[in-house]
Amino acid sequence: MSTVLSLEHLSVALKRGRGRPISVLDDISLTVNAGEMTALVGESGSGKTIASLGVIRLLPRSAEITGKVMLAGTDLAALTESQMRKVRGRDIGMVFQNPLSALNPTTRVGNQIAEVYRLHTGESDRAARARARELLGEVGIPDPAERLDDYPHQFSGGMRQRVMIAMALACSPKLLIADEPTTGLDLLVARQILTLLSRLRREHSMGVLFITHDLSIVEEHADQVHVLYAGKSVEWGGARSFFAQPRHPYSQALLGAVPRLGQARLASIPGNLPDPESRPPGCRFAPRCAFREPACETAYPAPDTTGGTIFACRRAREINPAALLDAVTPEAAPAAPVNRATALEVTALGVDYERTATSFIQGVLGRKDKMRALEDISFTLGQGECLGIVGQSGSGKSTLGRAVLQMIPYQGHVILNGEAFDAMPRAQRKPARRRIQVVFQDPKESMNPRMRIGDIIAEPLKLAGIRSKRARVDQTVALLDRVGLSDRMINLFPGSVSGGQAQRIAIARALATNPGIIVLDEPTSSLDVSTQALLLNLLKDLARQDGLSYILISHDIAAVSYMADRIAVLNGGRMVEFGAAQEVLTSPRNAYTRELIAASPHFRTNQPGGALDIMEFLPSTAQPSAV
Amino acid sequence: MSNSLATAITAPGGALRRSAAERAAMWLGDRGTLVTGLVLAVLILGFSLLGPYLYTASPYAIHGHHALQGPSATFPLGTDQIGRNELARLIAGGYATLIVSIPAAILTFGLGIVYGLAAALSPSWIDKVLMRVLDAILALPGLVVLIFFSALFQPGNFELILLLGLTSWPGLARIVRNEAIAQRNRDFILATRQFGGGTWYVARVHILRVMAPILVVNATFLVGDMVLALSGLSFLGLGVQPPYTSWGGLLQTGLNLIALDPWWMILPAGLMIFLSIMAANLIGQGLLARFGAAR
Repeated sequence: MSTVLSLEHLSVALKRGRGRPISVLDDISLTVNAGEMTALVGESGSGKTIASLGVIRLLPRSAEITGKVMLAGTDLAALTESQMRKVRGRDIGMVFQNPLSALNPTTRVGNQIAEVYRLHTGESDRAARARARELLGEVGIPDPAERLDDYPHQFSGGMRQRVMIAMALACSPKLLIADEPTTGLDLLVARQILTLLSRLRREHSMGVLFITHDLSIVEEHADQVHVLYAGKSVEWGGARSFFAQPRHPYSQALLGAVPRLGQARLASIPGNLPDPESRPPGCRFAPRCAFREPACETAYPAPDTTGGTIFACRRAREINPAALLDAVTPEAAPAAPVNRATALEVTALGVDYERTATSFIQGVLGRKDKMRALEDISFTLGQGECLGIVGQSGSGKSTLGRAVLQMIPYQGHVILNGEAFDAMPRAQRKPARRRIQVVFQDPKESMNPRMRIGDIIAEPLKLAGIRSKRARVDQTVALLDRVGLSDRMINLFPGSVSGGQAQRIAIARALATNPGIIVLDEPTSSLDVSTQALLLNLLKDLARQDGLSYILISHDIAAVSYMADRIAVLNGGRMVEFGAAQEVLTSPRNAYTRELIAASPHFRTNQPGGALDIMEFLPSTAQPSAV
Repeated sequence: MSNSLATAITAPGGALRRSAAERAAMWLGDRGTLVTGLVLAVLILGFSLLGPYLYTASPYAIHGHHALQGPSATFPLGTDQIGRNELARLIAGGYATLIVSIPAAILTFGLGIVYGLAAALSPSWIDKVLMRVLDAILALPGLVVLIFFSALFQPGNFELILLLGLTSWPGLARIVRNEAIAQRNRDFILATRQFGGGTWYVARVHILRVMAPILVVNATFLVGDMVLALSGLSFLGLGVQPPYTSWGGLLQTGLNLIALDPWWMILPAGLMIFLSIMAANLIGQGLLARFGAAR
């Protein structure tokens, strides 16, 4: 097996303003072999993207780089910029997270792919176009010849990512760097992209450096795993031994934080990533580690190479893996007495979307096409119950949430505590709407960036008629406390808090009007896995304490299964499956539900606790559909 | 790229600690454009508004023996064709220009914001009507309308403010409307509505706040536009009326006598117009860069 890429003791320090350089990547060594996939795993701030930019030499000029980057025997650091330009795209293909911003919206995809090929090979336009068609077919786009002349916006998210991969493959590179290519995609689509990458790397014996924050997604595909924490490698080695038994407490917690089918409580990591300027001198994970001892805090542990994987932890040998997982899995809050009175009832709900007519003549005439976004949805939501709504993008799940929230017009009835919204007098509708609140996917987008956190949380109080400023401040502090944040947040702007903190603030604000029901629209899908775990645990505790009802909308059936009492599966605007969570998960009646289940991370049999392996009762016929 | 990387590495911990001197140097370093504009604006405002108190020579007194003289100790910027003190007239002209331009800019600003927000937040048929009205107004050439009305009646300062204000708002209204439409369905607006926030509450508290950078920048550009429009009008003899004068009027008088080469009657007035528009634009550009970085 030949090595395509090897990083040897790569360190990167970045300068900011006139300050001294700050180390963001510290002594990383890893290899990618031909035909294999190395997963570089870490959460935001771990330095994983810096590492990939270091390989393709796209770091800012002020960056101080030491160590070696060897691509198939050539030291990339020794190349001139113009030689390096030839390497990028020809020897190294790149795929980024957001394909829509990586593709030029005004150029046909065929031309974009052909351009890369022409640039590096000097072939004719005709040959380049033929190559583009061949590539589109290779990445699994149906009717490649016809789609060559389409624009990026005419493709779905998953298809766009396939186009990006086709571009990256144009010159048959030795190495493909994929930086979070599946983040933001539905799980089903993400799995298909990974399967595609795995097939391509084998067929072309190309090395893949796959950068991700989600360990579970690479479980079946990676050959090697390299876990980064705060710019340092904490554990690395063969994927098989890693997933069989991760040794470092951080790797353990990271894996335990991924919601898996049938899991009772998620592992979580307390605290925050250390500030790059004031990192602990010893093990960087020590301040958040349940097993730290004084020695951990003074010196960085030497890598331990005696086991299956290499890990930098002085205590891993003594720790029993079961105890480790227990230590990072917090206790659940005591449950409030269950009172299953009906909080919300939805009957025969339908939503039409108007879109401007596609033909020019119809547009001139002002004709609009009607599109059925939701059809005949009925369900009830009990007090203190969590109803999970699962489906892919475009299934109508967010539309359902918006209809329940009275944000868009709909047919049918939404009945809150026995009173239908459409039957209420106008004056009553406003206070009734306050009883249903919402938490959106992107917490920063859900807050005015120019308002202070304190004002953001106090806004619903103000609108609800609480006039005394003192009272509002007191309640704001109490709300912050309920979601586990300090009152020091009050004077900050949303831009200066982390994603997880921002989502807690959004939850605090939703709680301010004391609603009975909260619609959670993909509340964790823009967050790191460990943050997601903390947040799901918090939501669960809040519901138990106060008898809150949730409508949890998500594409991730595992996350939903962790929260929901009942699950509804939407596909193409219709409810294709509805029932108790356990029942839907263990004996899904619908083929689409089975696909969703097959795509989600599964409970591992070798994990302590001896829970059921959900794979046992899954039908093996689940076929992934075309994206 | 370097920007996002820099934020990425400092995000968890917050700001860096720096000495006051370093901070001041960085502040200036980033804000060259803005500071230059502000200094220029303060100088021009001081010249025009405080000038009459510091340099008390009359702009109207006629010194018959000294007509059309170049700069001297008595008349630092010379005299005009009937012997009036050019420096005093430049100061008076500045005062007359700014006393009209700034209120006119404020009027334009208010009208543009209200009209734009009303269109963006109304039901779509009202929006359509308001926008067609706007198109109709935009189709009229602004300067020609101005000339028409100022020729119809001899405008005083108040009428000039009204005229300039009432003819200049459509551009801003369109910017405000488009921006408000881009903002109105953002998640935080939807969340506010869910708490019971009404249309005008949303407009006032959220949309205006998010648009603040664009608005501030446009306000500075508007002042520049107004100075230019008023100077243009006065140059054509339709703005500030004699014996009062404005920079545009001074420029016109000087250009009428260009055959006699009275550079002191042309250069200072032209320079003041140029500098005040440049000051407004520098401030606008500087603010734009600042807000752009903050986004």
